[in-house]
Amino acid sequence: MYSDLLHALPDVLGFYNFAAVIIGVIAGIVVGAMPGLSATMAISVLVPFTFGLEPLVALGLMAGIYNGAMYGGANPAGLLRIPGTPAAGATPLDGYPTAQKGQGGYALQVAVVSSAFGGIASAFALMLLAPPLSKVTLLFGPSEVFWVAVFGLASIIFLLGGNPVKGLISACFGVFVSVIGADPIFGTDRYTFGRLEIYDGISIVILLVGLYALPPVIDLLEVPLKTETDANKLGTEPIWKTLPRMKGYWKTWIRGSLIGIWIGILPGAGGSMAAFMSYNEARRTSKTPDTWGNGEPEGVAASEVANNADTASALIPALTLGIPGTAVAAVMLGGLLIHGLQPGPMLFRENPDIVFGFMWQFLFGAILLVFLGGSLATNSFARLLNLPRPLLGSVIIVLMLIGVYSIHGRMFDVYLMLGFGAIGYVMDKLKFPLPPVVLGLILGAFAEENLRLALRIGRGDWTILFQNVTSLIIVALTVAVVVGPLIKRRYLSRRQASAPGQEPGSKTGTQD
Amino acid sequence: MSAPHTNRLFRPETLTALGIIAVSAAFVIPTFGMRAMSALLPAAMLAGLIILAVLLLLSDQRKAAAGEEPKPMTSAPKRVAGAFVLIVAYALATDFLGFYPSTAISVPLVAWIFGYRNPLGLAVATLVVVGAIWLIFGLGMSQEFPAGRFWKD
Repeated sequence: MYSDLLHALPDVLGFYNFAAVIIGVIAGIVVGAMPGLSATMAISVLVPFTFGLEPLVALGLMAGIYNGAMYGGANPAGLLRIPGTPAAGATPLDGYPTAQKGQGGYALQVAVVSSAFGGIASAFALMLLAPPLSKVTLLFGPSEVFWVAVFGLASIIFLLGGNPVKGLISACFGVFVSVIGADPIFGTDRYTFGRLEIYDGISIVILLVGLYALPPVIDLLEVPLKTETDANKLGTEPIWKTLPRMKGYWKTWIRGSLIGIWIGILPGAGGSMAAFMSYNEARRTSKTPDTWGNGEPEGVAASEVANNADTASALIPALTLGIPGTAVAAVMLGGLLIHGLQPGPMLFRENPDIVFGFMWQFLFGAILLVFLGGSLATNSFARLLNLPRPLLGSVIIVLMLIGVYSIHGRMFDVYLMLGFGAIGYVMDKLKFPLPPVVLGLILGAFAEENLRLALRIGRGDWTILFQNVTSLIIVALTVAVVVGPLIKRRYLSRRQASAPGQEPGSKTGTQD
Repeated sequence: MSAPHTNRLFRPETLTALGIIAVSAAFVIPTFGMRAMSALLPAAMLAGLIILAVLLLLSDQRKAAAGEEPKPMTSAPKRVAGAFVLIVAYALATDFLGFYPSTAISVPLVAWIFGYRNPLGLAVATLVVVGAIWLIFGLGMSQEFPAGRFWKD
């Protein structure tokens, strides 16, 4: 089962493939270090540029960016109390007070070593868990695959939290976008309005760039945020000198890694949830909980290890079932699709070198974090915070246009991307979740194809969808995913009603 | 701070829900001319969107009836509208005037309008961005960008 993993290693160590990981990690740290930019946005902008690249080069860039950005977010979180990425939300709790004590450099080094530890653990989890799971999913027929798609959509809507009506609207919108173009079986024209450009459907890349890149750019231009910092006052020491001071964090690293991996596997949960859970657990078990929130570097370790531990593990359901665990994983699925790699059971059988190579790239990306984000680079990345946001915004706009235009060499795609961007901005501001849109687009076509295939096999009999045990299990899981959070919400509101003195949200205990 | 809207129909979520209902209802019409299996998924999704938008509308109106103020979508509406207008103008300029001239104007213009007003920094940034794009995409990857519809004729 794991022999394919070893066979894929030599390819990953090839010059271009390895260089892609290095470039990706550096680019990811740069992106993560800039408040307002995220890994999701960076990968969305990158995806169109990877069209002409070899799959492993493209995936290496994505894996590097993902790992790098998860750590990069710690830079502004620690130095300015502004999380560079949503996943770094718990890092300022102790990162900023540590920096205020003149130990900003040490806080960032704790962040980079913890991030690397979490990333390595996550990559191993991906390597160990994905292959056996893919073997199981190979047994799935069209009706099971249809239910897996429904399960994926349901889980990302209902486990994401927030308003389920808004989540469902997002998913319906995504699935509706997936049907635009010619019907795959009959060739019936669906909503093309005579435009040949969308006869083959709407490219996921156009949707990704519009939804995930345009709203952050508008945010960059909307808020004139001052982010100046003096990198010379960080008190950075060489990383090999500071490593011995971190040896006491090993329990936090292991605990945070396990939390991050578990959260990553759960569809809908993300790095910020992992980071807060890990921080809470580490503080709860600490011998000196009173020092937490006042500049305890172990708090930075707890947060950063968990938000990096959910990176590769989020790809376990994504690669094996086609269900991404996080928004970034959903965008990465889009990146796989444009290289003709359909996530799901057949991916492991048809493209083992690429899929296992991708796993190695996650591992190397995590290891490279220490070297690329360590002592030498810490001050340089801190200086990135001084880049003017309006200039950054205007450059990203140019990159978005180039990326989308170069897919087919036509301006129509650019206008379409701007349309999706406007929709994405409104959705973002009104708290409609964006991952269900992407997943709807990916799984919509997949679900329709398999539903129609199943119905053909069953000669139009709809009961074929419920005629085997695996389908029924997946249906039961889907019902559990839909009903579970509703019951939990009702239970919590009843409990709150019976204890009126308790503030909603006081249970997290992280708002010091 | 702008005064809160008195009309309950002007709440952002209500307007969004009404928009979804109107657009979805319009898109339902073409499904009547499709084969049943081709129409199945789009019709199901559009029906779902209409039902969900009605639920969203009811929930928002219930909040309005309870006196709950809607959260503003943006803290700086003029800056957001300006950003959108400039981005669309840049795309149109690329289409009609060509990529390189539009980019050379847009990069410093957007940065200037939104608060970065260092002339030397703007000049260097424009030169670096346009030059890097030409080197990497134009020269290195032979990527062709729109030359501009005006100049074609």
